[in-house]
Amino acid sequence: MTMFVLQIVILCLVATAIVLWALYFPYPSPLIRRWLPPRKRWPETQIRMWLKQGQFQRAFLRHFYSDPERIAPPGNSVLAPADGLVTSAEIRAGVRYLVIALSFWDMHVQRSPVSGRVLHVESRGDGFMDGEGREFAFLREKSCPVQKRLVIATDAGQVAVRLITSIAARRIETWVRDGEEIERGQRIGRILLGSTVVLELPAATKLLVRMGDRVWAGQTAVAEGLTAP
Amino acid sequence: MNSFFWTCGYLGWGIFSLAVFTGLWLLLTDLFWRLQSIRISRLLVTMATGWIIGVGLILLDFYIGNR
Repeated sequence: MTMFVLQIVILCLVATAIVLWALYFPYPSPLIRRWLPPRKRWPETQIRMWLKQGQFQRAFLRHFYSDPERIAPPGNSVLAPADGLVTSAEIRAGVRYLVIALSFWDMHVQRSPVSGRVLHVESRGDGFMDGEGREFAFLREKSCPVQKRLVIATDAGQVAVRLITSIAARRIETWVRDGEEIERGQRIGRILLGSTVVLELPAATKLLVRMGDRVWAGQTAVAEGLTAP
Repeated sequence: MNSFFWTCGYLGWGIFSLAVFTGLWLLLTDLFWRLQSIRISRLLVTMATGWIIGVGLILLDFYIGNR
């Protein structure tokens, strides 16, 4: 009898695992999630579905809002302000725009690329984003409706970090104020469900990364040779 | 062959092993599919082959044990 009970218990456990698998398919069952990397643990289609519903899995939110410690490399190199992929490094009008695209699975806290003083924190588009309806529909036409631009003055010139979010997210927090002295690698803000961070550097700066490279905020050196104009 | 399904008050080890193996193999296939970038046809052929071998071994073991 004991053997029979043991067999039934084992069969029930296996059946439960299969039922969970079937209930969650095509997304991973909670039983195997822990063994999957974030990108596979929460597939993009699932996250987009949550975005539409406005409900997210707690474990995903914990991962999304995680803010791990980072150790800045020694030296004076310019650090990546965000986690993500370098998608562009164009020079326009004497400014090099290093564009870093964040994915849903990247850490969303931004860090200062250099030590210096915050000259100003500009907000762009926030005022229009509070209302829904007509204005909202109009703004959908714009590619970058919500931005915060932090200008940092260093001994060797100015550097700017632009935090850009999407119309679906519409929230950016900045944790530094005008006139504040900040350290290289210090946390400067967070994009909530946002998309892009642009680092604006003098054109003469030597880039250490290329398009397609993966960078980590406050940890990856992206440029060096920041010199006063 | 009756002992395959039922033996002295509990499930026969044959059917029990088959059920557990099949369930775990299905879950393993799912995990493997998620972790590896592999074509679905190739994955299905690989895992089906593994399942056939596993079932074959269970049946063989049962046959040898009951000879």
